[in-house]
Amino acid sequence: MHSAERQTVHRWTFIWIGALVALVGFSLLGVALTSSQAWLETSPSLGLSLLGWGGLVQALNALLLVSEQPVAPVPNTGLLVAGAVVWLAGWALIAAGIRRAPASAEGPSPAAGATLYPRLARYRDFYWSTLGAYGGGMLLAEVVLILLQTVLSSGVSATELGAAGKGASSGLSLPPTGAFAIALLAGGMVAFISGFIGASRAQRLSLPEATIGVLYLGLPIPIVLTLMERLPGLQLALGYRLREVTYVAGLIGRPELGYWLVFTFLVLALVLGINTGFIAAGSGRVDLKLGFELFVARRHVAVFRPSLLLGTLAVLMFGIIPPLLIYFIIRSAEAAVERTRIRALGLKDPLAAASDLNRLKLREQSPTMMMTALSVGGVGVGVMALIIVLSVMSGFEADLQQKILGTNAHAVVSKYAGDLPEYAKVMESVRKVPGVVGQTPFIINQVMIASEGNVDGVIIKGIDPGTVGEVTDLPKNILGGGSLDILYTPEKIVHRGLPDEEPAEESGVEEDDIIRRSGTPKKAPVLPGIVIGRELAASLRVVVGDRVNVVSPLGTELSPSGPIPKSRAFRVAAVFYSGMYEYDSKFVYILLKEAQDFFGVKGATGIELKVADIDDARRIASQVVKVLGGYPYRARDWGEMNKNLFSALRLEKLVMGIILSIIIIVAAGLIVATVIMLVLEKRKEISVLKALGVPDGGIVKIFLAEGLQIGVAGGFLGLISGLSWCLFIEKAGIKLDPDVYYIPAVPVRIEPVQTVLAVVIAVLVTYLASIYPALKASSVEPVEGLKAE
Amino acid sequence: MALLSIRNVFKSYFLHGKRIDILRGVSLDIQRGELVSLVGASGAGKSTFLHVLGTLDAPAAGEVLFEDRPVFSMNDAEIAEFRNQTIGFVFQSHFLLPEFTALENVAMPALIRRQDRTGAYAYARELLERVGLGHRVDHRPGELSGGEAQRVALARALVLKPAVLLADEPTGNLDPATGEGIHQLLREVNREQGITAVVVTHNETLARSMPRRLRLAGGEVSEA
Repeated sequence: MHSAERQTVHRWTFIWIGALVALVGFSLLGVALTSSQAWLETSPSLGLSLLGWGGLVQALNALLLVSEQPVAPVPNTGLLVAGAVVWLAGWALIAAGIRRAPASAEGPSPAAGATLYPRLARYRDFYWSTLGAYGGGMLLAEVVLILLQTVLSSGVSATELGAAGKGASSGLSLPPTGAFAIALLAGGMVAFISGFIGASRAQRLSLPEATIGVLYLGLPIPIVLTLMERLPGLQLALGYRLREVTYVAGLIGRPELGYWLVFTFLVLALVLGINTGFIAAGSGRVDLKLGFELFVARRHVAVFRPSLLLGTLAVLMFGIIPPLLIYFIIRSAEAAVERTRIRALGLKDPLAAASDLNRLKLREQSPTMMMTALSVGGVGVGVMALIIVLSVMSGFEADLQQKILGTNAHAVVSKYAGDLPEYAKVMESVRKVPGVVGQTPFIINQVMIASEGNVDGVIIKGIDPGTVGEVTDLPKNILGGGSLDILYTPEKIVHRGLPDEEPAEESGVEEDDIIRRSGTPKKAPVLPGIVIGRELAASLRVVVGDRVNVVSPLGTELSPSGPIPKSRAFRVAAVFYSGMYEYDSKFVYILLKEAQDFFGVKGATGIELKVADIDDARRIASQVVKVLGGYPYRARDWGEMNKNLFSALRLEKLVMGIILSIIIIVAAGLIVATVIMLVLEKRKEISVLKALGVPDGGIVKIFLAEGLQIGVAGGFLGLISGLSWCLFIEKAGIKLDPDVYYIPAVPVRIEPVQTVLAVVIAVLVTYLASIYPALKASSVEPVEGLKAE
Repeated sequence: MALLSIRNVFKSYFLHGKRIDILRGVSLDIQRGELVSLVGASGAGKSTFLHVLGTLDAPAAGEVLFEDRPVFSMNDAEIAEFRNQTIGFVFQSHFLLPEFTALENVAMPALIRRQDRTGAYAYARELLERVGLGHRVDHRPGELSGGEAQRVALARALVLKPAVLLADEPTGNLDPATGEGIHQLLREVNREQGITAVVVTHNETLARSMPRRLRLAGGEVSEA
């Protein structure tokens, strides 16, 4: 029986020498790093990350859009390698100094009392296998995440990565975000399982092993990824292989923030795994059943009572004051009624009155109940705030995306340099690519536009009215029920019949259009049509039928007085309104043929594409390039073309999410306090339960379940109130100042994934918060509560 | 083979930083089916002795053997299972769980063992009928009198048909008539089911009615 105890031998000479060597190695590393500029630049942020507040500081930095200059340092590679080797050697020496003693230890058997304190033995030993499980699991999780991300997303094969050749020969083509979700889940699972295995084998929480494992084996990959942004050498060596990873991280504009968030997620998964493994197997036997523990927990914390749930929900929905007022009114009315009733009863039957009074007294709630209600409310507020804010931000993002994609194509095919004369042929090949649902050729250029009243710089686009509707919403955005087909028949454009305008138009014609003027001097000439935005029409003070001059700064014409900018007159054929100020004030459209003439372009600048699934645009774009045979063709998707805008939006959402999660963390503090109070209140019951045969693991489960109940109830209430608030905002509408915002009311879009995520985060945080009090509860000795009465 | 044997057990506790030795090398065998009473002055360590017997408290040195198996070298889960299935405890005060009804309290050890709930409740109801509380199954401990609560506690100790029943002054808080009722029940249980019972008591007359009597004094246990 005694051999079950593991013995560890410490050889202190080895350990001390090893520590010295490791210190020397560490100093060498430090010298190598400080000698390069990079260290000075990155050390503050790395240091902050290690301290734990780094993520938040970075998030705030990102929110304030503090830009960081990249530097070009050259670290001393030789010194770096030497330092790393010496450092590792030191650790190897220390490892050699800590060894398991042979099973047949000579000398006397351990003291008779030693085996009686398993609680002490539990904290005594340092197991290398546990360290291996935790640290190796962390490392494996990161590697799995990176490999999966690369293999799963667009067209990168595992062999190309240099990974084991077993992987798929050609990469699956999932959209990067989808691939990331799968990879993140897989990585989290790996971390969770390794934590579970490590803790259940060691039958203890093993904090030292976990810390060392995460610090030494978990940190290097995120550090390398972070440094990659700053060190061109590293970027050159790894950048291509890790491009799928950096792409996803780049989607939020701040890759480092992404890396560290993912790292935090993996650490959380590991902690959850360790804890679950300890609870399941810490007592010496795997026991995953929960029925009894939930039975006890539900009686201890009666969270799921209608009065508590409805009261908290009312506070979440209507704020604190109104429900509290109603509560007090009801209570005082009730008290008044009871008082008169009991007083009347007391005159007739004093004993019955006494028992009624006693019943009233019993109904009063304990302070723990109050704490429980407060904790439920705290979690609820956090989840509600998260859901509302994220939904409104998603609403803005979706609105913006819809408007951008309504006016712009999902992807654009062009050449790296020059025009696309063979656009008809290219369109023919592109049509065969699956996922492409529409395409239209275009010419784009920048010009000046002038009316009688004003001048503006705009982007002019030559379009094909026949196909442009396949790609953008332009035909639908025409005001007054007009159609783009009028561009083909400019003679039908309705003129504005103001008499004082006529001479002005006449004089304009004199300069530009000599031939026509000579033909029909009295009638307004037929000018090619142009479609302009509503804001531009307002600033130029023109309406449909008015004349505008378009001046190109590029191509020049020769005149007797020297070269002058090319200029041409157009008649406003229609006005469009997209809802985006940017587009309504900066875009004008003419016929493709007119644009070819005007700018001397053969064919088109490029082809705009519409795809069936906008989230798949990136993959389809690369597919199109493949079909066209690669260089000189290239295709860019909408995400790439509007990268800055969307990454800023995503970053803002992420940072808001992080900041709002702090509310949940505060609520978690409340839960810790509540469960600790419960443990103190239930000391006697814990002792009795232990005497009746509940193992330590069972006690941990009971109190974890009590904390989790609070989290689940809070998350549930937060979900209901958050969704109701979102629906209210959507239906009732909150008006926005039209001078500032481009949309009339606050948009709301409830995204199922992020809504569920908010609840899941709340439940996970409460679970983590309950671990400490639950462990405290399990360490109550049976005799403690049984002694005094 | 003795059912329970205690080998050279030492135990002390600390009061205001002072060590008080209550067991000084106690050795003792208890055979299957015995009904044993243990008497001694207040503070002599009778309760501690019982706790050590029931694995609730670990001795500083020495061994407790159950069917020749040292109980304190088992791991946490095994000790918990041992307490659950082999030992039944009755304490001086009833120590029922206040959130649960009498029936649920009695069935609790069976639920801890993860037995089917309906079966556990059926047997618990039967036991409650036996101790004369068939009419109070759905009452909570707060609504029961001291004698009733103690009878519920006895039923709880018996629900898994343990090999050993350890009772720590089960009648200490009760009037003599009610206490005699509890003792009667203990003797019946011992006779009918062959459960080995160790009863700590102050009451010399009650102690004398037991077949085997032990006295704890000065850290030593002697047959009285």
